[in-house]
Amino acid sequence: MIPLSHFMFISAVLFCLGLYAVLTKRNAIQVLIGIEFMINAAILNFVAFGRFDKATGGGQMFALFTIVLAAAGVAVALAIILNVYKHFRTINPAKIDSLKD
Amino acid sequence: MMNDFIQNISPSINDTIRSLSLFYPEIGIATGFILVVLADLFFHRRSPQASFMLTILCLALVGCLNFSQLGYPAEAAFGGMIIVDRLAVVFKIIFCFVSVLFVLFVRYNQSLQNSSKGTGDLYSILLAVHLGLHLMVMSQNLVMIYLSLEMVSVGSYLMVGYLSGNPKQSEAAMKYALFGAVCSAFMLYGMSLLYGFTGSLEIYSPQFASFLITTPFASWGLGLIMLLTGIAFKLSLVPFHFWSPDVYEGAPTPVTAFLSTGPKIAGFALLIRILAPFQPFNLSGIDSSIFSMTTVLAVMAIASMVVGNFGAIWQNNVKRVLAYSSIGHTGFMLMALFVFSASGFKALIFYMVIYSIMNMAAFMIVDEIEERTGKQNIDDYKGLGKSFTVLMIAMVVVLVSLTGLPPTAGFTAKFLIFSAAIEAYNLSGSALMMIVIITGAISTVVSLFYYFRIPLNAFLRTGENQVTGIKGSPKVYITLFLVFLLIFFILFPSPIQKLL
Repeated sequence: MIPLSHFMFISAVLFCLGLYAVLTKRNAIQVLIGIEFMINAAILNFVAFGRFDKATGGGQMFALFTIVLAAAGVAVALAIILNVYKHFRTINPAKIDSLKD
Repeated sequence: MMNDFIQNISPSINDTIRSLSLFYPEIGIATGFILVVLADLFFHRRSPQASFMLTILCLALVGCLNFSQLGYPAEAAFGGMIIVDRLAVVFKIIFCFVSVLFVLFVRYNQSLQNSSKGTGDLYSILLAVHLGLHLMVMSQNLVMIYLSLEMVSVGSYLMVGYLSGNPKQSEAAMKYALFGAVCSAFMLYGMSLLYGFTGSLEIYSPQFASFLITTPFASWGLGLIMLLTGIAFKLSLVPFHFWSPDVYEGAPTPVTAFLSTGPKIAGFALLIRILAPFQPFNLSGIDSSIFSMTTVLAVMAIASMVVGNFGAIWQNNVKRVLAYSSIGHTGFMLMALFVFSASGFKALIFYMVIYSIMNMAAFMIVDEIEERTGKQNIDDYKGLGKSFTVLMIAMVVVLVSLTGLPPTAGFTAKFLIFSAAIEAYNLSGSALMMIVIITGAISTVVSLFYYFRIPLNAFLRTGENQVTGIKGSPKVYITLFLVFLLIFFILFPSPIQKLL
């Protein structure tokens, strides 16, 4: 039996890796991958905690809904990034700055 | 193992069937969504405005259903997933009003009407977002909160990137989508932590608040702050406001008008729902010596008012000015939440109704002027008072209302918020509350500077090339009606107050 703390540790590491990717990557798709990491860290947490919530199964259910929503969100974001590429010929968020103060 | 669950089946089916009777407005929206999609598919060529008519009909029907729910007692539905109470119903009526204005705005916006994509999909996205807004104000379960928030967010990304006709629009959509996704990932992780500490997803169950406070502060504080991140993003509160000026400038103007009203109002409803289990703050232990929820909210309110109002002074693009001013307004509205009671909510809801009228009217005027002259910057507004006299006078009334001066309803709204904040100060007597109130007063004065640059340029300075001839367009008439409402509601505020 793997203790709960192991799951929480892995998920915290996964979340931090995702955040690091979001903050440092210079490619919108890599940023999206980072966001996926963060969402999956949360899903891991839900499933691990859900083991102690057998009566209602809330954690498992939440994890399922999240997986579906994450896929929907990524689909929309990819379509938007494709449009950005058509206009700018780059998907580096740092170089796309026609809107600024 | 299986037998444990079998006996639960019939009670839960009965509960679901009973709950359906509370769910008529949402069923109406879902049906309308399907009909609009089908109408756009099959009747697009024969009658291009079929989806417009259907959407308006659907929203009117949903509005009537919402009104019929006003008298209902508060009742939880679908196994405690949502709650239908008076607060939720009032918010739903406001959403119907905002959505109808948005649909009319889209109908009479040239750039959207002339685009090759057509507007049918925009209406169906609106109905999906509208369903999300409804669920947002009713949710009382973490799953429902996340689902509805994502429904609204994903729909909003699509709306912003709908045309993608020029680089600015696609850039705005990308910034919005990436920033929004990061904030919702933060919120999701916060939710997973809260679930772990409390063992429950229902924020109103008694174990939620009590279990949470018994865990060490370092863990529950982190979870709660992460949860608030997602909501602060929707509200564009400082420090999660970076997206809003860029998105407001880049998005098609009707979408901007919608984003600055609908999702923002729903964000406030969600904030009320999440903070309610911890009331009163000082008794539930959430305001302890190391951490104070009141302080966090107060600092956010002060920062939003300062950044919003001082940031707007340096802007030249009208839509950016309105974006910063809406950040300031959000901080201001947060003041009403420090008295967490019916009087605070009344002030907040009154302000929201007036705020949505003002913002819709302001963006409609900006859009009308942009369509006729192509001018988006305040400096270019010179001399427009001569050629667009009626429109610019309407703009002056809206700006006076946004500042919060009589004789417009903006004054009543600001007055109610200030009295709620002073009530909170009298109850708590904390110096921080006093600072919030003083910041609110100063920011109102500061807002005069940037709002009045528009009439100053339009009326008192002369431009080089005069644009002449203005025929009354439907958008002008809608604006005039909204301006009439602003003046009407200071004389007769009772229609709104009766609603509360």
